[in-house]
Amino acid sequence: MTAEATVVAPDIRPLRGSWLRRAGSLRITLVILPMLAAGVLLAYEGPAQEYATWALVLPLTLLAGNLMAAIATHPAFRRQGALLVFHLALLALVLLVAASRLCYLKGTAEVLSGGEFAGLKEREAGPWHRDRTADLRFESSGFTIAYKSGLRRAGTHNRVRWRDGSGLPHEQTVGDQEPLVLDGYRFYTTHHKGFAPVFAWNSGKGPTEVGSVHLPAYPEHEHRQWNEWHPPGLGQPVWIQLVIEETLLDPSGPTEFRVPAGHHLVIRHGDRRLELRPGESANIGGGELRYVELRTWMGYAVFHDWTVPWLLATCALAVLSLAWHVRCKHFSRPWRPDDHGELRGMES
Amino acid sequence: METELRLLWVAIVAYVLSGSVAIFGLVLKRRPERFVLTAMAGGLLFHVAAIALRWDRLGHGPFVTLFEILSSNVWSLTLIYCLAYWRYRAVRPAAAFVMPLLFVLMGWLMLSSPEEGHFPVTYRTPWLYIHVGLSKVFLGCVLIALGMAIVVLLRRRGIALARLAGMPADGRLDDLAYRFMALGLVFQSLMLVSGAIWAQDAWGRYWAWDPLETWSFVTWLLLAFALHLRLTLRTTAPTGAWMIVAVFGLAFLTFFGVPFVTTAPHKGAI
Repeated sequence: MTAEATVVAPDIRPLRGSWLRRAGSLRITLVILPMLAAGVLLAYEGPAQEYATWALVLPLTLLAGNLMAAIATHPAFRRQGALLVFHLALLALVLLVAASRLCYLKGTAEVLSGGEFAGLKEREAGPWHRDRTADLRFESSGFTIAYKSGLRRAGTHNRVRWRDGSGLPHEQTVGDQEPLVLDGYRFYTTHHKGFAPVFAWNSGKGPTEVGSVHLPAYPEHEHRQWNEWHPPGLGQPVWIQLVIEETLLDPSGPTEFRVPAGHHLVIRHGDRRLELRPGESANIGGGELRYVELRTWMGYAVFHDWTVPWLLATCALAVLSLAWHVRCKHFSRPWRPDDHGELRGMES
Repeated sequence: METELRLLWVAIVAYVLSGSVAIFGLVLKRRPERFVLTAMAGGLLFHVAAIALRWDRLGHGPFVTLFEILSSNVWSLTLIYCLAYWRYRAVRPAAAFVMPLLFVLMGWLMLSSPEEGHFPVTYRTPWLYIHVGLSKVFLGCVLIALGMAIVVLLRRRGIALARLAGMPADGRLDDLAYRFMALGLVFQSLMLVSGAIWAQDAWGRYWAWDPLETWSFVTWLLLAFALHLRLTLRTTAPTGAWMIVAVFGLAFLTFFGVPFVTTAPHKGAI
């Protein structure tokens, strides 16, 4: 065995401001973590929703500041690489979540079977989201939904068609677990779907126009299958009710969502009440309303957030580095207390 | 269904026998560890047979109804604890405190209806197994830590000092318990990430702050707080033990309280 002289390198780290060290104190982390927990509960479980944003933004900002200061000043982060990567990943996560809130879009859309996507019905977006949904085009070619006994929804299969940037046609079946992705916008089929009577309307002052009226979701609103419609050029709205003349979805056995073979529409316009079957027409307010056919519509949840793959990658990095840190810290020493000779008076 | 229930009853009886013998062993200063381990392992075998029969009959795993969730958790927690019991002889007497906690779940299980539930179409994904599996490992890690924490707390209060004298010192138990807590943090993090991936695929959002997601995140924060507290303030073993009790309590309420008291959908069953 040879004795080696140990040379202790002088501490050449620049002297950091004591305020930065204080800001990065783990004691402050111990205050901020409960603040964040309280903020989360206040924002999402508490009654005062108007303070939700600040209840989260304040502790998250403090945590990010504390984390940055700790990374800059705490020597443990230089000694333990995995711990450093984990905390850097946490910091990146906070920044990505903030970016996500600024740039995301959430919305809903309804598309007629055989019709084209024509914009969002409802929309909620961050202030920095550049909305490109008006440029999106796809056609729904219809869908099938199977139900098990007791009207328990099984699989949804929605056929959609679209053209890519070079004009090439594409066809895809989307549904549960599989969205349609167009230009980063993800269209998910939902349990909101229903019927849509298609009308041809001629007001007598121009060409015939064809349009559809989406009735409330079925079977969710089975007993509320009516809606109002303002035909172009007609002052008073038309009230339309779908009357289904058969048991469409029988809960006693397996069944499938379909357009009812036996049905008619009840139309009310002012004091007038009339009934129409597919192909029949009626004069209303000086124009001609023809009931063409009954189709279905599918409701979509629309989502766009460019941060999602980055969030996933950062989460993966965070968990891997945490696991590596735990491995370095805790698996380098024996786990069994027995190995330390502390087991006394116990049988094997 | 009758065979499944009979097998489940046999498993429960084996678990209760195992736990009861562990308790009596501690009280009588005996070490019937081989019997405790054998009864626990035997119960697990009967239980896995009950779960497998039900799985085969319904065509889906134990993920939907209260009965199925409780049954799978009793099985997974007992399995994880059984492995710890087999591997760490020094902490075996803690079984006398851990098994009664599982008795609570078993009692609840026997009172719940074994009727079939609707297996939502969004559950037909490998992420279900990954997410649920990780959550069970997380809770198992915290359960093992809890057993050691209870020993520390009892000894600090002067209870059963002689009976627990054979176990490692408080400092060593605290160290070992917090290793399991650190492992728990890894598995809980993985559980949250896998749940987010599944939610993005199934419902078009990776995180929606539904009650279960919210309380899971709060549990993650409390676990991170407990680890930071121990590191920063060099807390004593009893303080660390109380933190473990708090984390387990919150995790338990999140797992078994929130899903059954809230009407907000986490399960995608609509």
